[in-house]
This record gives sequence, structure tokens and C-alpha cells, in this order.
Amino acid sequence: MILKEGKNLCTYRVCGIHTQMKLERRLEALGLTQGALITVLNNDKKGALTAKFRGTRFALGRQIADHIDVEEVSEDGRDD
Amino acid sequence: MAGTINVAFIGNPNCGKTTLFNAYTGANLKVANWPGVTVEKKEGHATYQGQDFRLIDLPGIYSLTSYTMEETVSRECILSDDVDIIVDVVDASCLERNLYLTLQLIELGKPVVLALNMMDIVEERGMEIDLHRLPEMLGIPAIPVSARKKTGLSILLHAVAHHKDHASQSPFIHHHHKEHSSHRHDHHQEYAMVYRDDIEDKIDQVMEQIRSRYPDIPNKRWHAIKYLEGDKNVNEKYPLDLSGILDRDYEKEIINEKYDFIEEIIAEVLVNKSKNAARTDHIDRYLTGKWLGLPIFLAIMALVFFLTFTVGDFLKGYFEIGLDAFSSLVSSGLAGVHTSPMLTSLIVDGIISGVGGILTFLPNIFILFLALAILEDSGYMSRVAFVMDDIMSGLGLSGRAFIPLLLGFGCSVPAIMASRALEHRKDRLKTILITPFMSCSARLPIYVLFSSMFFGENAMLVCYSMYLLGIVVAIVCAFLISRFDGSRAEHALLIELPEYKSPNARTIAIYVWEKIKDYLTKAGTVIFIASVIMWVLLNFGPAGYVTDISASFGAWIGKAIVPVFRPLGLGYWQIVVALIAGIAAKEVVVSSCSVLFGIQNITTSHGMTAMAGTLGAMGFGAVNAYALMVFCLLYIPCTATIATIRRETESRRLTACFVCFQFLVAWVVSFAVYHIGLLL
Repeated sequence: MILKEGKNLCTYRVCGIHTQMKLERRLEALGLTQGALITVLNNDKKGALTAKFRGTRFALGRQIADHIDVEEVSEDGRDD
Repeated sequence: MAGTINVAFIGNPNCGKTTLFNAYTGANLKVANWPGVTVEKKEGHATYQGQDFRLIDLPGIYSLTSYTMEETVSRECILSDDVDIIVDVVDASCLERNLYLTLQLIELGKPVVLALNMMDIVEERGMEIDLHRLPEMLGIPAIPVSARKKTGLSILLHAVAHHKDHASQSPFIHHHHKEHSSHRHDHHQEYAMVYRDDIEDKIDQVMEQIRSRYPDIPNKRWHAIKYLEGDKNVNEKYPLDLSGILDRDYEKEIINEKYDFIEEIIAEVLVNKSKNAARTDHIDRYLTGKWLGLPIFLAIMALVFFLTFTVGDFLKGYFEIGLDAFSSLVSSGLAGVHTSPMLTSLIVDGIISGVGGILTFLPNIFILFLALAILEDSGYMSRVAFVMDDIMSGLGLSGRAFIPLLLGFGCSVPAIMASRALEHRKDRLKTILITPFMSCSARLPIYVLFSSMFFGENAMLVCYSMYLLGIVVAIVCAFLISRFDGSRAEHALLIELPEYKSPNARTIAIYVWEKIKDYLTKAGTVIFIASVIMWVLLNFGPAGYVTDISASFGAWIGKAIVPVFRPLGLGYWQIVVALIAGIAAKEVVVSSCSVLFGIQNITTSHGMTAMAGTLGAMGFGAVNAYALMVFCLLYIPCTATIATIRRETESRRLTACFVCFQFLVAWVVSFAVYHIGLLL
């Protein structure tokens, strides 16, 4: 699934980022690397969402959230 | 004691770096731009136990790549001889993300001291950081500080003084790779950050090449890593043929390796990390909520402008009384020493009336900047980017572009500079083009003056309408441009949402003082000179010194251009001259009116009554006044803004196009407003 399909307050593991190289590197430098955990905070709007990874909240535009592949993880951190 | 120690302060955005910097330097800052770029450079001094420290505040950045201007500037500065030691300011409550920059800084090879800021928040949340293990793992000293509570400041300078000559400490390296290392060198004895064996092999091979080709490069390991990352700047500066060694770009793997190490550090040094900041999440439920986010933002902005006009105007009254008294005092003083009427006119009608009139608006400006500073320091500003993202996307821009627009309510110059945060040039240009439509504080005196004169009780509503109209025009322009250029897919919002915090009084005070200082400086320089020039143009004509203003050079220029403005209801040469003078600085429109209509202290209540009477006799009514305000809102920005547009766009042609576009928009909208007004 993609991050934009994520539910509020659910945690996901990043499987891959498929966007322009420069943006991908920026996201990785911020800690959104493959395998990183990301918690969706507010995905109520059509466009951008807010999420938390590596202890920091970010607002991510839809153009980004649509291109991040994630998988849900259970509360103990294991992949579902 | 040794000479001055040059200390660079660096850290992620929102890590409290500026608060820490301000805690040392106070308002004694030297603010300039880095050579050749419009990235702000702040410098200050501090003394501890007789040792002098020169402190350099570098831009807030997340990494040291060469993707953005800020990153390049910071990197170049640290690598230069200008910096003896780096203070890496980290938000201890978000240690995981902040440590990425730390690892990059350590790799640069200069001495680094880690300032663990916001330790008070760490304690509040019941988190604990193992302050013995952290320096062991990183190989650098880690000093807990709280910039807001001013704790740990002396110890940090003490550590800086002691570690300025230590590029690295003892070999404390504890990066445990999953597989046992079989690398031929034991880098774990030398470096904090050690990569996988195959990457370390590549680094060693590239270092060999660097040694033979560029033996004088100081930090060969860091340069080798940059070659592996495919860093553009390093490749351009030190070209090296590495085709036999590097088969691909290793940047992604290097980033991943660093985060692996960071995870290891966090696992060892951070206790109770699961306790999150519930307060911020709770507030965000409302402030960034789907239904409440936008109305709350609009309500906050309405409150900001309400305070600016009501409280500001209340205080302005006292300034006006002071100006009146001062003006009378100078007049009688000059008459007492038998000064020539010409010189008295220059001082009283030209300088005091022009500059003094502008100074009476200081309370309004103060409140506006105070409100913007509070919004920024509390962490709300970045939420606005998220709240506005949907609307801005429809205009072909990211929500982030709304921050420069919002700052534009204060001053267009920093607002246009803030557009640098947008990554795509097209987005930047579009934002720069529409930012001057946001009504800056310099236009406030014009609205207050003309709305008070012609709209009585509705004056505040008229002022509000200007701000609203500015936003509408900016939105319409952005929308039309996005229809034409068709670029919609590039605008990805990516912005950190920091923890909410109560604004720091010192940070706010310094921010507001800087803006007030700018305003006072402008009053003392640009507006002073413009007032004198206006006085000369209006008191001299082809026949020399004239007492009849309509025979002056100013009148001659104004009358020549009047036909352009007649369709807008502004066909009065005095108004035209004031508008031309307003290009120097928008406040000059007000100070010029004072000189042009020969009314002393135009901003006082009797000055306004006199001016309204004069204008009324000329057939200039409320509709004309509204059209004038609209024109002032939208027409050519001030010279400082034009210079900033030129610097940011790096193109004279584009700047000229932008200025012409803004004039055209102002003309068309004022024309429409005037003729609709006449019909009503």
C-alpha cells in the first residue's frame, strides 16, 4: 500500500520511495529510509498528511505520500 | 589567554539554535549576507573567563549535502579557516533525527562539541539521556543546555575553549555491524562512523587517489565519502577520474548506514523514549484538523490585524501628540534664532513632517511584527503551510509557499527571501511575483491615513479589505499563471511541524527589535532623503525658489504623467508625485502628501481634517481614496523589494517584467474598483 492510504495513528514500515532522486535523497536524509517506521497522524484531508518518523512530525504533500510504499506493522513492531 | 576562538553554531531547523545564539550575544548582532548569496549570516561575540569567542550562526539545515544554498554555505564556512570549532546544537527531545547532521559534522574533521538543547523538555517528558554513553559513542563532548532557561551556557563555552584543538577524541567507536568486519584496517579505532566493509574499501581506494592527485586536501576521508555520494561541488572543485573504482552512486547506502548507527546510539543512550509529546498532538487535532484548521487560521489573522489597528491606533495617538509638540517647539525655536523661512520650511515641512509622520506608525508596526514573531516562535507558522496546502495546490504551489506570503504582511524583503525554501525555481519565481501583493507594513500608514479621512467609523473595515484584496489578487494571479504554465505536479509539501512551545521572550524581543530598527533606519535614511528631495522638487522650479508649489519641478513632472492615472480617479498631479515618490519606500506616499499639500503633521487629527478638506475641494472623494489605496497596495514595490527580487531571480529582465506586471495589475484593478465604486 502507499502512505496516502494509511490510517490515522497507525504505524507503517517504509518499503520503498519512488520519486525523483533529489527528493528521495532529501527524505532519506530526514530519516525516511527503507525500513524506517512512520506513524500517520492526520490523513483526513484529500491532499497533504501529517506523520511522525524518527521522533519528528512532518507535513508531507500528496505528491510525496502517493509515492511511498509502506506496510503495516503491529504494535510490537512486527510486520503484519 | 589565546586569541579569539571562532565558533560556528549549526543545527537542524527548530532545534533552538537561534535562541541559544541569542542567549550568548543578545541583540548585539552583525547581520549580513554570505558573499554572493542571499543567505543570512549572523555574527556576535561572547566572553567567558577572559576568553573572547566570535560566534557565527549558520543557517538551520538537516544535512550537509550540496542540494541547497544553505547547506553549501554552511559546509564551505565550516571547511574554511574562518571556523576553529563547531557547536552542533541538537534538540535533545528529537535526538534521533538530529544526530544525522552530527555524524556528518564529525566526518568533516573539525572539532565538534554537541550542545544538547531542550534538556528541560526531555526531563518534562520523563525521558533520560545517558550523558556518559553518548560522548563515548560519538567521540565528542556532549553538553546538556537549555537555551530558554539559560542553563549550561558557561559549561558549553568552557568545553568549546578546551576542545578547540581536538579534531577527534580518543578512539571510542561502537558501531556494531551485523556481520563481523573483515576490513583490513581497523577504522573502529579512528572514526565514529564506520561503514560496511565494501564501502570502507571504496573509501580507502578513493583516499589513495586523492593522496596522489591532491596531497594538500586536509580531510581526505570526508572528501572520499563525498566522491562516493557523487557530490557535485566536490567533483567540480577536485575533479578525479574514479571510473575504475566507483561503479555507482553510494549516497543511499551511506545515508542508510548512518541511520543504522543512529538507531544503535538511540537504543543505548535514550531511556523512556516511547513517551511522546501528547500536548502537541492534542493541539494539532484542532489547529490542523480538517474542518477547524482553516477557520482557526483565519480567526488568528483577523485577531492579529484587529490588534494592529485598534491597540496600534490607540498608542499612535500619543505619538501624534508628541510629534505636534516637537514640531511647534522646533518652529518657535527656529523663529527665535531668526532662521530663514526657506530653512525653516525645509526642517519643519520637509524633514519633521515627513520623517516624524512615519514614526507615528511605529506602534502599529510593532504590534504586527510582534504577532508574526509569536506565530513563528510558537511553532504555528509551519502548520499554516499544511492547512493551506490544499488551496495552494489548486494554485500550482505547495502550502510551503504560503509562509513567504504570510511574512509579506510584515515586509516584502524577508518574505521574498523566505521563498528560497521552495525547491523548484518555477515555484520560487511565482511566489516572488505574487508576494509584493501581500500588503506589507509600510503600506499601513497609507490605509490608516486615507481610510480615517474618508471612511470614518468604517475605517478599520476598509483597512481589512485591503489585506483581503491583496490575498485575492495574489491568488488569482497564481491561479492564472498555473493555468498558463501547466506545472502542477512538482509542488510537494515537505515541512517539519515542530513541537508547540510558549514563545521565548528574548527571541521575540530580538526579532521585533531588528524589525523596528530597520523601520527607524529607513525613516532616518530613505524617508529622510526622499522627504528632502520632495521638498526640493516642490520648492524649486525653472524660476528658482518658488512659493507657489504648482510652479515647481514636482508639479511639472506630475502634470506630465497625470493622463495615465486619470482613468483611475487619480488624475491629480500631487497624488501622482506622491505615488512616484512612494517607489523609494511606500511610507513616503504619506510623508510626500504632507509636503505636497502643505499640511504639517498630516497624521494628526487636525492634519487629516485639513487634508480631507483640501482633497474634497479638488473633487477627490471616498471612491478616489479607495482607488488610491488599491493602487498603493498593488503597484511597483519599493526599491528595497525590487533589489531583493533582482538578487533572488538573478535576472534584470525578469525583475523588470515583474515590476511591469505589478504596475499593470495595479492599474487594471484600481480602474475596475474606481468605476465600480462610481456606479454604487
